[in-house]
Amino acid sequence: MELDLKDYIKILRKRIWLIVSIVLVACLATGIVSFMFMDPSYEASTKIIVNKQNERVGADQIDLNTINMNIRLIDTYKEIIKTKRIMDKVVQGHPELNLTRDQLIQKVKVSSVNNTQVMTLAVQDESYAKAADIVNAVSKVFKEEIPSIYMGIDNVSILNEANRDDNAAPVKPNKKLNVAISFVVSLIVAFGLAFLLEYLDDTIKTEADVAKYLELPTLAMVTKIGEEDLGTERMNATRQVEVGEQHATAKQ
Amino acid sequence: MQRPNNSRPIITHTNPKSPISETFRTLRTNIDFSSVDEQIRVIMLTSAGPGEGKSTTASNLAVAYAQSDKKVLVIDADLRKPTMHHTFMKTNRWGLSNVVSGQSAPVEVIVETHVHNLFLMPSGPVPPNPSEMLASKRMTAMLEELKESFDVIIIDTPPALAVTDAQVVATKVDGVLIVIDYGKVKREAAMKVKANLQHVNARMLGVVINNVNRKNGEGYYYYYYGNDQSAK
Repeated sequence: MELDLKDYIKILRKRIWLIVSIVLVACLATGIVSFMFMDPSYEASTKIIVNKQNERVGADQIDLNTINMNIRLIDTYKEIIKTKRIMDKVVQGHPELNLTRDQLIQKVKVSSVNNTQVMTLAVQDESYAKAADIVNAVSKVFKEEIPSIYMGIDNVSILNEANRDDNAAPVKPNKKLNVAISFVVSLIVAFGLAFLLEYLDDTIKTEADVAKYLELPTLAMVTKIGEEDLGTERMNATRQVEVGEQHATAKQ
Repeated sequence: MQRPNNSRPIITHTNPKSPISETFRTLRTNIDFSSVDEQIRVIMLTSAGPGEGKSTTASNLAVAYAQSDKKVLVIDADLRKPTMHHTFMKTNRWGLSNVVSGQSAPVEVIVETHVHNLFLMPSGPVPPNPSEMLASKRMTAMLEELKESFDVIIIDTPPALAVTDAQVVATKVDGVLIVIDYGKVKREAAMKVKANLQHVNARMLGVVINNVNRKNGEGYYYYYYGNDQSAK
């Protein structure tokens, strides 16, 4: 059975309350969970530059080979940061963090922008101050350990540390985004369910159904009895009351 | 004659200008023109299951025929759960079961209704063997006798899938109408009803789809047109 656009709209209109209900429930549930039950998560980050400290910055002195080597080193450093050697040092040097090596490895996220000498270390935690302490500790230990790990090269500098006193906004949950995603997903699910129910509906509804399945003519299609169908008798009843009142008035 | 106040209104009588009343008049016309050679005088209504509107359709169709100056008899052949006596606010102490069992003559149990030209034969007391009663020769003889007194006989029967009563009566009538409740009857059920009736070589006139949603607005033109005419 081929359906045109009108038929699709008809199906959706027929199940409009189902669709609205599903979308409303999904959005409300997501909103309630996001606003009330999900703990806010804060992110603190530090930026590290991979660059020899004794390099002087001058247009005529820039060594492109060194820069390219530093850029390539970043990928190596990204892996080194998350090794047990670095994280064990952080755990030993900062017992106040109350974190194990594996927990630290999980928390620390390292990223870099292509073709730059800058690396970003980021840590998420329910407390911004703690996130800042963790990311600063990892950055410092990494800076200190690199010369002993990597052929005595001391080319790591901390561009900026995370300030634990900053009044940072939570990065998670993104309430608006969660509700928006919930809206879109629930709408798709509701539409799908509406069409599925229509597909599974094998009841007789139209003259075409009667002709197709019963091979009989439809002699009449009787609509539901509405208020307007009962209107005449109600009007008559009202008229009788009015006439009665008039008679009563006339007698007086 | 005063119209009884009941929970199942006969719209065709109470509000002849409504679109639904016009639908029943259309149904009457369609039945009349469904046979070219012979006139259809005995019509049976059935459905797949209960509560699909057989009795409402039967009573409204009967009124539509009565309004066209035909002497109409409604027979409640639902000897299990009779309802027609409620619709017309009549007693069910005597009726079809009394006639078929030989206790009464048809004339004794037929009652006049509040609608001009419309008469009712209630089901009568519920018997222990409805199918056998409806299949009896007395039933056939009674219908032949009633054909002489009435122009149209409309028979309301039980659901065709529930019991065999409808199949039994279908062999004795000129045509069968299947009432289907919109969006309630499954294709398989409707096809089974047709197969059951075909099995006894019943002549099927067609289908009446009942309780259709009025969103498409069919019939409103007549409604407003009728109102305009009455205003004049």
